[in-house]
Amino acid sequence: MSGYSRSEPLARTAPMEANVRKGVTPASQSHRLPGDGIIDRRLPLQFSFDGKTMTGFAGDTLASALVANGVKLVGRSFKYHRPRGIVTAGSEEPSALVEMRTGARREPNTRATTQELYDGLIANSQNRWPSLRRDFMSINQLFAPIFVAGFYYKTFMWPAKFWESIYEPMIRRAAGLGKSAELPDPDHYDKAWAHCDVLVVGAGPAGLSAALAAGRAGSRVILVEEDTLIGGRLLSDGGEIDGLDAREWLRGAARELVSLPNVRIMTRTALFGVYDGGTYAALERVSDNVAMPDRHQVRQRIWRIVAKRSVVTAGAIERPIVFPGNDRPGVMMASAVRTYVNRFAALPGKRVALFTNNDDGWRTVETIERAGAHIVAVIDPRHEVPAQYQRLVDTYDLRVLAGVVSEVKGGVDGVRSIVVANDKNGLTQRIDTDCLAVSGGWNPNVGLSCFHRGKPTWREDIAAFVPGSAPKGMATAGAANGELSLSACLREGHGAGARAAAECGAAGKPGEASKADDEVYAIAPLWHVKGKGKAFVDFQHDVTASDVTLAQREGFESVEHLKRYTTLGMATDQGKTSNINGLAIMAEATGRTIPETGTTIYRPPYAPVAIGAFAGHHRDENFHATRLTPSHHWAAKQGAVFVDTGLWKRAQWYPRAGEKDWLETVTREVLAVRNGVGFCDVSTLGKVDVRGADAGVFLDRVYINSFSNLAVGKARYGLMLREDGIVYDDGTTSRLAEDHYFLTTTTAKAGPVMQHLEFCRQVLFPELDVQLTSATDQWAQFSIAGPNTRNLLRALADPSEDLTNEGFPFMGAREVKLRGGVTARLFRISFSGEMAFEISVPARYGAAMAENLMIAGKPYGVTPYGTEALGVMRIEKGHVAGPELNGTTTADDLGLGKMMSKKKDFIGRVMAGREALTAPNRQVVVGIKPIDKARRLRSGAHVIPKGAIPGPQTDQGYVTSVCFSPMLDQWIGLGLVERGRERTGEIIRIHDPLRNEDYEAEICSPVFYDPEGVRQRG
Amino acid sequence: MRIACPFCGERENGEFTYLGDASPKRPNFAVDGGESPERVEDAFYDYVYLRDNVAGVMREYWYHGGGCRSWLVAERNTVTHEFISVTAAPGAGAASAVRAGE
Amino acid sequence: MADFSWNVQSPLQQALVPGRHGGAGTQVGVTLEEVRGVSLVQVMARRGRVAETIKAAKKLFSVEPPDTPRAVSGRNATLIWSGPDQFMVLSARQTGDQFAKLTAGFAGVASLSDQSDGRCLIRIAGSGARQALAKFSSLDLHDSVFPAGAAATTAVDHTAVNFWREPGSVDENAVFNMLVFTSFADSLWHTILDSCLEYGVQASVAHAA
Ligand SMILES: [Zn+2]
Repeated sequence: MSGYSRSEPLARTAPMEANVRKGVTPASQSHRLPGDGIIDRRLPLQFSFDGKTMTGFAGDTLASALVANGVKLVGRSFKYHRPRGIVTAGSEEPSALVEMRTGARREPNTRATTQELYDGLIANSQNRWPSLRRDFMSINQLFAPIFVAGFYYKTFMWPAKFWESIYEPMIRRAAGLGKSAELPDPDHYDKAWAHCDVLVVGAGPAGLSAALAAGRAGSRVILVEEDTLIGGRLLSDGGEIDGLDAREWLRGAARELVSLPNVRIMTRTALFGVYDGGTYAALERVSDNVAMPDRHQVRQRIWRIVAKRSVVTAGAIERPIVFPGNDRPGVMMASAVRTYVNRFAALPGKRVALFTNNDDGWRTVETIERAGAHIVAVIDPRHEVPAQYQRLVDTYDLRVLAGVVSEVKGGVDGVRSIVVANDKNGLTQRIDTDCLAVSGGWNPNVGLSCFHRGKPTWREDIAAFVPGSAPKGMATAGAANGELSLSACLREGHGAGARAAAECGAAGKPGEASKADDEVYAIAPLWHVKGKGKAFVDFQHDVTASDVTLAQREGFESVEHLKRYTTLGMATDQGKTSNINGLAIMAEATGRTIPETGTTIYRPPYAPVAIGAFAGHHRDENFHATRLTPSHHWAAKQGAVFVDTGLWKRAQWYPRAGEKDWLETVTREVLAVRNGVGFCDVSTLGKVDVRGADAGVFLDRVYINSFSNLAVGKARYGLMLREDGIVYDDGTTSRLAEDHYFLTTTTAKAGPVMQHLEFCRQVLFPELDVQLTSATDQWAQFSIAGPNTRNLLRALADPSEDLTNEGFPFMGAREVKLRGGVTARLFRISFSGEMAFEISVPARYGAAMAENLMIAGKPYGVTPYGTEALGVMRIEKGHVAGPELNGTTTADDLGLGKMMSKKKDFIGRVMAGREALTAPNRQVVVGIKPIDKARRLRSGAHVIPKGAIPGPQTDQGYVTSVCFSPMLDQWIGLGLVERGRERTGEIIRIHDPLRNEDYEAEICSPVFYDPEGVRQRG
Repeated sequence: MRIACPFCGERENGEFTYLGDASPKRPNFAVDGGESPERVEDAFYDYVYLRDNVAGVMREYWYHGGGCRSWLVAERNTVTHEFISVTAAPGAGAASAVRAGE
Repeated sequence: MADFSWNVQSPLQQALVPGRHGGAGTQVGVTLEEVRGVSLVQVMARRGRVAETIKAAKKLFSVEPPDTPRAVSGRNATLIWSGPDQFMVLSARQTGDQFAKLTAGFAGVASLSDQSDGRCLIRIAGSGARQALAKFSSLDLHDSVFPAGAAATTAVDHTAVNFWREPGSVDENAVFNMLVFTSFADSLWHTILDSCLEYGVQASVAHAA
């Protein structure tokens, strides 16, 4: 893929030289093994956990480094504050959750098992007070009954006020996991797109085989892997492939993949969502492996991957067995024990007991013995040593016990001994151990295949759910598909990759699948060992087996109810290690089978994703794109205060030194216009070039009034309705040529109106010859208003231009030449009620225009004004705007009913005639003046008749727009009032319970100023 | 979700705006053409308000506003979100077209 | 009478700071360029006049306008597909009324709209260009999908843009052009620049020739 850089799949994090603390000896790593491991012993890294400094190596996770340092206790549990340790070595970790980093970068609930170690890493345990070893809240264990299933529902129902004052603060103190930073996140995040033919999810043996097959065939392949390295279980369990040691084979596979230019490998990238049409979402942890992202680098990045086909080779998760004390630090998944030993050269225990109900767990024996530690006992409830492992019994003189683990004894530092019960004869025996490796079997990762409401199906032979169906374009292979042996993973992965490539049209040859010896995998399901003491199902939410059976006794038998009642599987790990055990216990309690009991619905995200990553670049000033007017930088230089108007930044007012508040500024601006001349950038109005032979007919159909009869060189105010008869938008449209109109919209509706016009053109009236182009950004448009407007324009325009009332009458529109050689469009329209023009020049001249208006208007005291003054003047003139065009008003409500043509069909015509929209008691636009001239009128206040008691029955409307009118020297407003036009002069009551105001006002004409319109025509 | 614009090819759904059911046709009527106002109003009432709530394949309007600005008619399965077909509105582009129903 | 000067202003007057930004050391992975002094005209065939429009374009530019999303080089202009039966004519701004000349050339067969000030032309190239583009464009820019001369109308930061790969620009020298709405240019420039910073950026102003 030319242009893309590929991550190096086998490269390890190399911390910057300067960061490596010199002189640190690895002596503290009491549980570090000699021998291989995929860690770099040349790069020691110093880190701190709960303030204690330790060392690890490059290639370690925080969890493996803690294991290497002999740390077992890493946190306290959610409800009972029980000591907890590391359970897994992967992203499914429910227990070893820590607070990473400090200050603004502090992040709770980070899985120690996926956190790469870096030099200077600071982590702290969570949910303990005052310290991890002495946790006062562990007293919660004594109050355990209040924390049973449904405790929120049961305990806090009554009395209500106790909730706020006692229960909630107590629970917030006691429960919860970690604290998030209280400062804004200083890091950046972004989002990016990637495209491919075949997306392979997971780079274990199946995924590598799929990527190799599809890549060789010539498909564009993306291989995503959440781990820092490719290889999956091969990194931990090894084996032999094509006659090679697994790691050797892995190096070869990596070399081949990297050599294929059509294959892109993305490590540290976890797929978390599957969406419609072959879109997938993945989270790349770009800089989580360093203390602070490089300059210009993001912390994390969300990838939206578009793939024609996907092959999910996401593997399987080993599941715990639920037995009393199974949450004691030192009780660890057997596969995790092997990972820590083989991959990280870190020894979780020196005297390891193994509790397994399946053949795979037995692999642990060799790992431990070869590491120089001892297997003190293998506990297998099957009462029979698997044939393939019989040799281990002899080689290592193994003590094999038929039965189950029924009790775990130990302290905060972990397991010291276990009690094994023979389920046949009931005899028990105690075994001393410092680590209990557990394997309850393997659950294929069916989540991704079930995101489109797919239901997994139950496979009895492996006692696990496998994908039942998959979203369109997705195939599953290998362990994710329930094929747990290495040979099957290689074969299935290759087949799925080759098929996906062929379906994408790849013509090349996929090559041969790699081969490994077939292994036997046998299992006898064991879900729950009953006994004294808490047996945990969900480690993260502290849900026990007895919570599940309690839920059943109380009638919450459906898995969805079980989940919500007990909160099983609702923590950040989403029940990856607990859901199946929970429903198996429920099945047992209800006497149903596991498939009958069923699973809860799978939904993205598969793994936790920070909100910051979802926001990406879009925060703070980049929250959304902004639009600047052509005179923006000029206005900024004049000290303008800007206001967000949709996406636009508009000058709101231009304060001057000595002005005490915005009102003084705005009043000055209004008076300057009304007494002299001012200008305002109105480029934000939507502008549309409407051209074509049928442009006039087209406008007749979208406006309530006629435009086909508008003379060239003239402008007209137009009003659009929605098809349901409600007013949609308004604006002035000019006819610049026989087949060319220039239509304007309000600032807010520019986009929607364009879309609406295109709908009318393409869908409703396709027979018309009309073409539409947005010209909003092409023109810098200024409103120039005030009695001296013409004088200003005379100074600016070429002397040949006739700007007299006769030469350029009210509502005229044409091109004029300006001094200095620029041609402008001039429209004689007025929003302020003053003698006014709007002038347009190409946007590149916007700043120059503002400067030239200042020069030309200097003798007349020209004043730039902002949107606030614009608003004041439109209210004084009774012009409606956004607050009146509010999606409920008709043309007649706005006093514009007479504009509706009776001679033509237009959008909204028929529905506007409906009874309710023409009822005489509708709320219509009126003017409102408080009787007390010192009163400040506020928008939103209710209008009720004088003497009436405020209430829904007496409510007759409300105040929509208000301003302080410099011309009337009092606050005035527009309102929508029932039968308002018949009530001019009536004294009404303004009732404003929100601001606790109540006063009288008079209904008046909405045109407060120059009602005859003499000034604008002058 | 990905939508295959007949002009632009397959694009992500963020470039598109949904309008809704493409089945109702705007009634054609001549002003003062002698039709009873009630019948015209009923026809418009149906056009503006009455919609089937389809669970299955439905014809819908989509606007490629973040692209070629064409209005499109898509057949989409509302249950699976699968697009069966996407075609251009009659007046997209400049080819001669007639008003629906004429 | 006062004298009036009509200095022109680019929408990137403030946002674009020529020089090197971001990256480590002196590395330049992306070049970002604003091309000033362009003439841009939207040409839309009138209803039923597609054939005549093509003919008129061929007469003016010695090349047929693209009828699929492509950009083609013609005499003194690049014609960029912008939708069904419509395209944009991009050329260097000259003295005299270019728009009037084009209008005359398409009289009666197509509707024209001058967009020379409605858009800002940004050019992106360099070894990191595709990676940077992936952060703000949802398009697949792989050679096999988006070869030299390919064009698209698409959205960047929810804003419509005209996008094309310079005809004839191949391999590591692929050049991507973006016409963004003038009012959005300042904001989009920051988004684009931010997306490019990790690769090292050389920002500059060019003038259409
Ligand atoms: Zn399109």
